[in-house]
Amino acid sequence: MATGFDYRPDPATGERRVHVVQGEYHVTDDPSIVLTTILGSCVAACMRDPVAGVGGMNHFLLPDGGTSSSGPEALRYGVHSMELLVNGLLKRGARRDRLETRLFGGARMVQGLTDIGEKNGSFAVEFLRREGLAYLGGSLGGTHGRRVQFWPVAGRMRQMMVGREEERIFEKERRSAVVPQAPQVATGELELF
Amino acid sequence: MPAARSLSVMTVDDQFSMRSLIRNGLREIGFTDVRECANGEEALRQLITQPVHLVISDFNMPKLDGIGLLRSIRAYPPLKNTAFIMLTGSTDTEVVKRAMQYGVNNYIVKPFTVAALKGRIEAVVGKLN
Repeated sequence: MATGFDYRPDPATGERRVHVVQGEYHVTDDPSIVLTTILGSCVAACMRDPVAGVGGMNHFLLPDGGTSSSGPEALRYGVHSMELLVNGLLKRGARRDRLETRLFGGARMVQGLTDIGEKNGSFAVEFLRREGLAYLGGSLGGTHGRRVQFWPVAGRMRQMMVGREEERIFEKERRSAVVPQAPQVATGELELF
Repeated sequence: MPAARSLSVMTVDDQFSMRSLIRNGLREIGFTDVRECANGEEALRQLITQPVHLVISDFNMPKLDGIGLLRSIRAYPPLKNTAFIMLTGSTDTEVVKRAMQYGVNNYIVKPFTVAALKGRIEAVVGKLN
């Protein structure tokens, strides 16, 4: 699921932070956990069932925003990421009709090029609409990166806009990140054909 | 060598977006008779009255999951020879093992490309033209 799990609780608050990186997700019903992420043109969905007391976050980026050279096939990364999050919540006792989602990210980080951030955000909003999942808003678009913190059990959220210097650092990291590749053949030890 | 347009396919997945992706992929491969259901129970009801050549089903679904659908198909003589491909997440090794016990023909790990989907289908029904 997510990388960057810090099991040491914050001595002041008792909270434990889980940093959700691109391509990952995390679901929990532990009230001491805070899910965090840093977003540029990527999008994170913060989803929870307030009755079941379970919530989670994913973090995805569609290659080329799901358009141009990558074609509509690129949407599969977004669909898969959202599906993993929804199914993870359902496994922990959430009900689909009670799920509430807020979306963050989708900024236009580089002027003059295709607005990948807008494509990512539009995809996520459209996904929720098509699947009939409640969308409670959030913060999409703009030209600045964001730090997001999400307390999934309590439902509290905090967003901080990122300064230019910090943006340059993580945009450089994002560009050098490897775009996830779909397995051409099955992973794992099972092979039928 | 079967023609894709001569084969009927049913996709079963509780997520509209995933069904949409699979439907588009199947159309790109050349399939024209593509049906859809949102869960195993609905799929089984439809298959009994309108059988298909190939079922492509998700595992994780409400009401009747992918394994339940596979078992029901294999247990019902008029449908028992229907080709069945299971869609799984990358961590569902146990699911695939169970599906193999119940006679799944192949499986594919999400997210997948259209080329990978075609390859998996061809491994079951033969090279498509």
